[in-house]
Amino acid sequence: MTLTTKRILILSAIVLIGFVLGRLAVRALMNLLLGGTLFGGNIL
Amino acid sequence: MNKVKSGKKVRAVSVGVGILAFLLAFGAGAVSKFAIQPGWAKEYSVKWSDEIGTLKEDLPYGDGEANKFDLYLPKDSGKSRYGLAVYLHAGGFTSGDKSGDREMLAWLCSKGYVAAGINYTLRTDTNTASVLSQSEEIKAAIPKVIEAAAKEGYPIDKMTVAGGSAGHALAMIYAYRDGKDAPVPVVFTFGAVGPSSFVAEDWGIFGVGLDSEESRAAGAVLFSVMSGQEITPEEMADGSYLSKVHAISAADYVAENPVPAVVAYGACDKVQPFLAFKRLEAALQESGVDYQYFVMEHSGHGLQNDNRVYAAYMKTVEAYLEKYMG
Repeated sequence: MTLTTKRILILSAIVLIGFVLGRLAVRALMNLLLGGTLFGGNIL
Repeated sequence: MNKVKSGKKVRAVSVGVGILAFLLAFGAGAVSKFAIQPGWAKEYSVKWSDEIGTLKEDLPYGDGEANKFDLYLPKDSGKSRYGLAVYLHAGGFTSGDKSGDREMLAWLCSKGYVAAGINYTLRTDTNTASVLSQSEEIKAAIPKVIEAAAKEGYPIDKMTVAGGSAGHALAMIYAYRDGKDAPVPVVFTFGAVGPSSFVAEDWGIFGVGLDSEESRAAGAVLFSVMSGQEITPEEMADGSYLSKVHAISAADYVAENPVPAVVAYGACDKVQPFLAFKRLEAALQESGVDYQYFVMEHSGHGLQNDNRVYAAYMKTVEAYLEKYMG
């Protein structure tokens, strides 16, 4: 595996984690205001 | 020495790019939560256009500044009779506007019903508006809505009344308390997360219903504002407050006037107590009326975490519209 491939893989993982955390953060905020569970129901 | 410096620089740039990518992805994820609608939801959210029908805005039904309604008249004006679908806006009895439900009203109109969004006087720090006064305004508005539709060539022979949150509470009050006096039969009601009863022990999310002075005082203030009548902590203690909240407790009237219903509630609701829904459910079950309810186990007041259940709720609303409104 070349260094560039490794970098792309790491960057992709970071983007994916960031995207998921962004959605979860909104869900957590909405739950705080309106009530709700962090997991369960919708996938994210 | 230069090689070491260059290596450090490359690492710093890589870390910087990683942080930037994370922040951008985090922002995109957050925005996507609002921007991306599930496919099924688009079906029930129609953008208003002249292709659907004619919109008459701000028709008056009373002397109050807020006493206005919008009438959505379907394109097909050739029928001898129409069903009326009233949808009342949300906003905790203190905010909101009929224009906020334009897409829902457009959807109802696109299905061939005359649709109406009605404003009511909102509670502020400087007025005495209450759930009771708002429900009376809605009661006064309905005959005017039906009159206005008839004047436009759309005679109404039946109706459904619906809403979200505060609007749902007012819709249920109209259906169950006032439905018997409606100018046309109220054939069913639908809505989500509307409070249907005001029994202190259900309202623990507001600190009401506990065995303490503070709790009774909090209950007296909350229920006084809601009912438009002065309720004292003593009345909270001896239970006599119940007669004062009776007129705004739709669940109390289900047995007298059982109207079919489709309702949805969030089990984790922090705004409208889920326990209050349990009383509505018991009343509906006891009355033997045709009803469907949807509990969103992972959601609160926004019904925001259970899309599949929400889709099933909307499908059922559609089926009941077909069944009762034709």
